[in-house]
Amino acid sequence: MNIKTGRILSLILRYMILAVIILFLLFPIYWMLATSFKTNMEAYQYPPTFYPDEPSVSAYISLFTQNNQFFVYYVNNFIVSGITAIVCTLAAVITGYAIARFNIRWTVIVASLLVFTQMFPIVSRMISLYGLMSDIGLINTRTGLVLAISAAQIPFCATLMSSFFRNVPKEIEEAAYVDGAGRNRILFSVITPLVKPGMLAVGIYAFLQTWDDYLHAATLIQSDNLRTLSIGISLRYLGELSYDWSLINAISVIGTVPMVLVFFFFQKYMIKGLVAGAVKG
Amino acid sequence: MRSLSKKKGDMYYAVMLTIPALVLALLFIFIPIVDSVIKSFQEYKVRNIIAGLPGEWNDFENYKNIFISGSLPTAIANTFTFVVIVILCQFILGMALALVLNSNVRFARFFRSIMMTPWVVPTVISALIWMWLFQPQYGLVKYFVQLFSGGEVTDFAMLNNPDTALMGVSIAALWKQIPLMTLLLLAGLQNVPQDILEAATIDGAGSLRKFFSITLPYLSPVVKVSISMSIIENFKQFPLFWTMTGGGPDGATTNLAILSYREAFVSMNMGSGAAVTTIWMALMIITIGVYNKLFRTQDMS
Amino acid sequence: MKKLLVFAAITLMVMANVFAGGSGETSEATADSPVTLKVANYALLESGYEDFWAGVKEGFEAKYPQYKIEWVTAPYGEILNQVINMAGGGDRVDVIFGEESWVPQLYSSGLAAPVTSIVDEAFVSDFDPAVMDVFTIDGDIYGIPLYVSPFILYYNTELFEQAGLDPANPPKTYDEMLAAAEKLSQLTDANGNKVYAFGQTTASVVVSGNALISMIYNFGGNVFTEDGQLDVDNEGFRQAFEMLQLLDEKGYNPQNAKLKDLRNLFALGQLAMYYDQSWGFNGVSSINPDAASFTASAAPLAGGNGTGEAVLCSHCFIVVDNGEARNAATNAFVQYVISEEVLNDYMTNITPAYPAKNSMADMEAVVNSGVLKGASESISNVRKVPYVSAMSDISLDLCTLAQAVTVSDTPVDEAIDAFVRSASVKL
Repeated sequence: MNIKTGRILSLILRYMILAVIILFLLFPIYWMLATSFKTNMEAYQYPPTFYPDEPSVSAYISLFTQNNQFFVYYVNNFIVSGITAIVCTLAAVITGYAIARFNIRWTVIVASLLVFTQMFPIVSRMISLYGLMSDIGLINTRTGLVLAISAAQIPFCATLMSSFFRNVPKEIEEAAYVDGAGRNRILFSVITPLVKPGMLAVGIYAFLQTWDDYLHAATLIQSDNLRTLSIGISLRYLGELSYDWSLINAISVIGTVPMVLVFFFFQKYMIKGLVAGAVKG
Repeated sequence: MRSLSKKKGDMYYAVMLTIPALVLALLFIFIPIVDSVIKSFQEYKVRNIIAGLPGEWNDFENYKNIFISGSLPTAIANTFTFVVIVILCQFILGMALALVLNSNVRFARFFRSIMMTPWVVPTVISALIWMWLFQPQYGLVKYFVQLFSGGEVTDFAMLNNPDTALMGVSIAALWKQIPLMTLLLLAGLQNVPQDILEAATIDGAGSLRKFFSITLPYLSPVVKVSISMSIIENFKQFPLFWTMTGGGPDGATTNLAILSYREAFVSMNMGSGAAVTTIWMALMIITIGVYNKLFRTQDMS
Repeated sequence: MKKLLVFAAITLMVMANVFAGGSGETSEATADSPVTLKVANYALLESGYEDFWAGVKEGFEAKYPQYKIEWVTAPYGEILNQVINMAGGGDRVDVIFGEESWVPQLYSSGLAAPVTSIVDEAFVSDFDPAVMDVFTIDGDIYGIPLYVSPFILYYNTELFEQAGLDPANPPKTYDEMLAAAEKLSQLTDANGNKVYAFGQTTASVVVSGNALISMIYNFGGNVFTEDGQLDVDNEGFRQAFEMLQLLDEKGYNPQNAKLKDLRNLFALGQLAMYYDQSWGFNGVSSINPDAASFTASAAPLAGGNGTGEAVLCSHCFIVVDNGEARNAATNAFVQYVISEEVLNDYMTNITPAYPAKNSMADMEAVVNSGVLKGASESISNVRKVPYVSAMSDISLDLCTLAQAVTVSDTPVDEAIDAFVRSASVKL
């Protein structure tokens, strides 16, 4: 009897914890959606309405028609994030392989250097990077932005990737070597195909991180036509004249949707990759 | 013969493979860092940028000024408070959620998927979402506070009050970070051997006892990595603060990231901004070092 | 696999370069192609101003086919950084559309050129000398205003009526304002929300610092000496912050508000009076198009021994010397924009303001502007802020001081001491 009540209590407690935390995590998303479908006048109503009284897509219409500079930032963000993801994955494959397979002093040093780089604040790099990048003509270009972000992402990506390479049995490589395969062939035709899930995880991780970039673009890009999403939103739509909260929420919705889709589509790989990196790396 | 040349060849090959990453790190991370440390000892302002003049040694002036003006000590305190609050709450809530999801609740897989949503929301957008919830005149949080205080508190403005502003930013940070923490802990929990837990149950150990003497020790590698990732992330947190409060009110949310950005890119005093980042880097490295050391000794005992 | 990846990477890199080249860089004008004039203008990003500036470009290029305008944009808070960073990279703009408070930084960075070295002297001399004094550093003029406005008092006539006050007789001193505020703060709006009686911006942005200096001047106080040293040990300075503390204790002033927050509240009928530059009305009417029906203006309040002097604000052009060809284009552009013809519609319908050029004093827009009539006297009761190179820093410190005495409830003396410590290292 006593044991049974205890079990029921613990069950209730469990569901309560679940409900409270899930509500905390998901309600703000709902609130963003709800506000984006309100008119500005309704958004400014107090007490607030919990669902739009008169659902309106006027914020979205104004986003698509008048405020469409947003889509320039959006496309830029896709281009920069996509290229960065590819660059990071390629670099992570070769660097991660070297760290995982060749246990010599050099790779140990490289591995710890890469971990070390993650501790430097971005602002301190930006103070000098601006001048250095203009000296080599990379300021205000996508190439420069991609390279600077990649440099910051590669360390974690390479560490993550190396944990995937460690899981590949060494015998496969040795067998290929005995068969007379060159080192490049071993890496790219024998081993790399075996870590495709890892590459996917690293690529998506880099994509998500780049999608979120703020400070690199804030300092290295000046043309409005090259700006990326986060900086574009905060510079353009949080102007000094007035707020437009319905529009801001509509922008938030559109800015979030692709990430949610990417995540749910690839979540199997993502979760596996992140867990592998954090738990075993 | 062949094995010797293989070893040497392997070495060259390994060096070659790491070159691209190293070159990028050198160009875009190490050189700028060294350069900014040098600038922190120099008078380096807008005029230097425009005229292309090199900086001039100024007798630790930058460091002296940020101490005298009182901005640095506050920023350090704010940074550490934020890191500690966020990591503690994040760990407790993340652990609670992970334990629940790891037990036999219904739809655990479904919840595990949807709870990840905040993690993929871009930081600037999560700042906007929470600014809107905290909005001082029409915000939902103000309404709830008014409702639950029975109409006592009618002007709750989380981000406008120096006593609560840091808490407001922390909540937004927690919202975005709890999912990943939960996910990692959940993965760690799945590595805890079930047979040992069952044996302990048969021996009559309570759930708390089992948690502290079996689950937690097995989890410790995951905990160590995920918390150190979290320390680094929150130590560096910038966009959330910049968008939500800009460091205010009355400097209550000015952390080291905000202070350095304001010095370097708003006041356009690169030397002074570099002095802040240099101290910041030193603190970060010390913190991580101490953290690793603490965790290592705990592992052994 | 490898080939495919390498191919993909190369393609993408090439694409990136093409895109970057296509939109990021600009070509230098050669002898026979039109001269490209680079104008840094944040207003293009603010929806209330965008159409006007698009019209300026069109009109100017039609009138002067030999010149082309290229906008350099960034938001209000970032454009100075952008202009300075671009100049650091060797890419200097020709004209900056900004505010008088930007002049010190552009001057100290060596970017701003004396206006008379580029714009015709005859044109410059037609401006009100008192106004031009604001832009003068070491005897040279470093900015030329399109129009000007002190921080004036906007008030809501409907709320005044509801509170039993005479909307034709707004308060003239801080004491009268406090008396009115007591009645106004009893009101609620249609949804039962609190009405704030009096708004003064204190959030940490440079323009708020300017508004605070203006309030200190209202009380006859001082912030700097003539030669740019800190001078805060005076009654007026203290009284201004005591007033802010009082307003906060009584709950009259929305806490930690930016000007745009105040505009928002004013537009929705939840703020009875507030200080703003005249063109802030554009922000008000963009939220509530009917705002003109209840908006009126008055001269800044007088407090203590002060006479209600204020800081004169302006939207102005700051010019940069980029060699003869581009300077000639700059000269034409400045004279084209600052004319009754171009500004009349803008000052009537978009951003009410007072002209600074003598020949424009009687222009229709000003004579007929309803919302500005009440405050028109204030234009002659302004005081110059001395040149201080770290002006924007000090402005932010003033905001911090204002926040300390309001949201943090720090005693005024203690807060002023902290301000002096922080500000003195910057001077």
